[in-house]
Amino acid sequence: MKKKARGLSWTFSVMLLITVLVAGCSSSNTNSENNSSQTSTTTSTNTTDSHTQTTDNGGGLQGEFEIQYFVGGYGDAWWKQAIAEFQALNPDLKIKQSAGPKINDQMKPRWLQGDPPDFVYIDGAGSNTRQMVQDDQLMDITDWLKEAENVDGQNILDLLIAQPEEYEAGKMHAIPFVFGSWGTFYDKNLFAEKGWETPTDWQSFISVGEKIQAEGDMSVYIHTGVYPYYINGALLDPTIVAMNGYDTSIVKRINALEEGIWKSEPVMKALEKMVEMRDKGFIDQGSVALNHTDSQMEFLQHKAAFIPNGLWVEGEMGSDVPDGFQFGFIPSIGQDNGGKYVANPYVSTVAIAKKAKNPEAAKAFLQYIYTEKQSKAWAELSKAPSNIKADLSGTNATKLTIEAAAFYSSADTVVSPEVVMPEALVTERNNSTMALLEGKITPQEWVERMEKATAEARGN
Amino acid sequence: MKLQRNLFLASFILPALALYFLFALYPLGKGIYLSLFDWSGGSETYNFVGLDNFKALLRDGVILKSIRNDYILIIGKVLGFMVLSIIFAIGLTRFRIKGSGFYRAIFFIPNVLSVVVVGVLWRYIYNPNIGFLNSFISLFTEKEFNFPWLGDQWSIFALLPPSIWAGVGYTVILLVAGILNIPDSLYESADIEGASQWRQFWSISLPLMWEQVKTSVLWIVMTTLNGAFVIVTIMTFEGGTDNATQVLGSYLYFNAFKYGKFSYAAAIGVLILVLSLLTTVVLQRLMKRETVELS
Repeated sequence: MKKKARGLSWTFSVMLLITVLVAGCSSSNTNSENNSSQTSTTTSTNTTDSHTQTTDNGGGLQGEFEIQYFVGGYGDAWWKQAIAEFQALNPDLKIKQSAGPKINDQMKPRWLQGDPPDFVYIDGAGSNTRQMVQDDQLMDITDWLKEAENVDGQNILDLLIAQPEEYEAGKMHAIPFVFGSWGTFYDKNLFAEKGWETPTDWQSFISVGEKIQAEGDMSVYIHTGVYPYYINGALLDPTIVAMNGYDTSIVKRINALEEGIWKSEPVMKALEKMVEMRDKGFIDQGSVALNHTDSQMEFLQHKAAFIPNGLWVEGEMGSDVPDGFQFGFIPSIGQDNGGKYVANPYVSTVAIAKKAKNPEAAKAFLQYIYTEKQSKAWAELSKAPSNIKADLSGTNATKLTIEAAAFYSSADTVVSPEVVMPEALVTERNNSTMALLEGKITPQEWVERMEKATAEARGN
Repeated sequence: MKLQRNLFLASFILPALALYFLFALYPLGKGIYLSLFDWSGGSETYNFVGLDNFKALLRDGVILKSIRNDYILIIGKVLGFMVLSIIFAIGLTRFRIKGSGFYRAIFFIPNVLSVVVVGVLWRYIYNPNIGFLNSFISLFTEKEFNFPWLGDQWSIFALLPPSIWAGVGYTVILLVAGILNIPDSLYESADIEGASQWRQFWSISLPLMWEQVKTSVLWIVMTTLNGAFVIVTIMTFEGGTDNATQVLGSYLYFNAFKYGKFSYAAAIGVLILVLSLLTTVVLQRLMKRETVELS
């Protein structure tokens, strides 16, 4: 008996030892993976030999320079390439890249301790430019930016499709770098096969919707009810601008949290259009419970004819797109009687940290990346448009990107500023819109909820 | 000698105590402390606002909805868990079902699954257009049935089946252990006296496994108040349509990490702490019974 007990305790000890060892191994494994994938330090020594021929233009930047960038749908190929080129121009600069899909969370403690990176690309979960400005983390670059020229000698502001958002009146803290827009998507081939016309305004959308509904094969319109900012961004916001006579200043007033803005006539008219669509039964009943991938899958399976989405949808669904499915894009459907299209953009920004230790290098890097050459490189490597004006024809950009870019440069399209509200207000608007689409509240109640939430946001 | 003994004891207690302070008491205190400030979670400045965050809690409609949802989950889960696990446990032990070991394993399998897997699995079951549940119901209806289970204003109830399915194996095991501890002789004499199975359950099984029942109930309550946000955010993301499935835990999370209201989230954390304490104390009182000691 005693022997057996001793045997048992031995077994336990050995197991414990193994567990500890295995745990130790696994943690050291993940550490090294983290190191290689998320933070790699490029020092001057390991790049000089391959780039000696390009260093003679006398890149004079010195010291350390840290870049934080989020790696998501756009990948990191462009960042790696651009940083390597910048390194080659400045061989004495020690560039550190802090990057990865979780980088926003990982770097948060450093921002809190006042030890941020020099340069940051603000994108992905856990990032919010407006919040960073509010928390006084970003450098005010207004004066510098007004004069700043890129390395090709062009004024940077002149090259931008979307201008920097002024979170504080008259002040610029972050520059939009990625540009895309919301819109309504459909399958071009399906529409051709069925003989449905592509809608160009609200009236033609309603009439083609009635036709689709009468045929009874699919719902007219499916959206992601779990993330209602899709329908807000692709349907409500552009309709508000159209109802304001294509005057985009209303977006600035929304962003400024102006009192009474939700009560204004353009907003009410836009809400009534959504109600019209709801009452006609255009909206797929299941939408309310679907997340973005669910709704996109069902759209690809022809369970519905239209979907509100962003330009990234084609890349996001990637290999799930069935053969013979061709994405079509309409910037907006809410305008009346053949009016102009309204493109409601989404942007991701870049900025310099207020407490940057090497702001000179950060500014030089901005001047290096805001060029037509980098715009094309971004479009090819990240498969999405950037915010720098450039002719994408002849590049490897996707059909949808080129089609959208054509809309943006057309005289029939108004590009509105991005709607940027505090997250709590975004959520309240999401909730109110869902309640409206389910018929639980009226447009009037929607407006009251938003006015109340906006008043609270102003107080913060 | 005594010193040596104390040193020996301390060498076991102190590290654990230090870790407990570091990882349990310090965060708890810090959380309460932070709830008195207006801090965004990203700023270097902290503004002391006293009890303002708690006053704001009272005015926030979502808080009431979240508390309601938390208690719907607690009551639903306690009832569902206990009824099912008592039936299963009695079935597996008293009725000597063939292959009871096999069933015990089957009931326990969902417990081993990650809650993420459970959530995603049940999202497919509930999917309004291509889900199993609606397809099954559609077999019996003329028109295609496509009710959005997770998008309704009462979809908090739709979160009960997955939570119960995923966790019931644990309480079954607990109760089975409780019943197996009861000496057979008690049941034998009850049989001789002619007591029915029903009578035996009420007079022998239930009182003698009461400790296990109590443990199970407290376990369910605590894990629900502190952990329901996991299933809520996995199955209904940002708290369902218009906060239909929001619980305190998920609302805390969104305030802290999404809306930039970290201090307000800390105040919600304090509210959860208070509610947990109150609920546990009340339950302890309600479930107090004279403990039956087996000699």
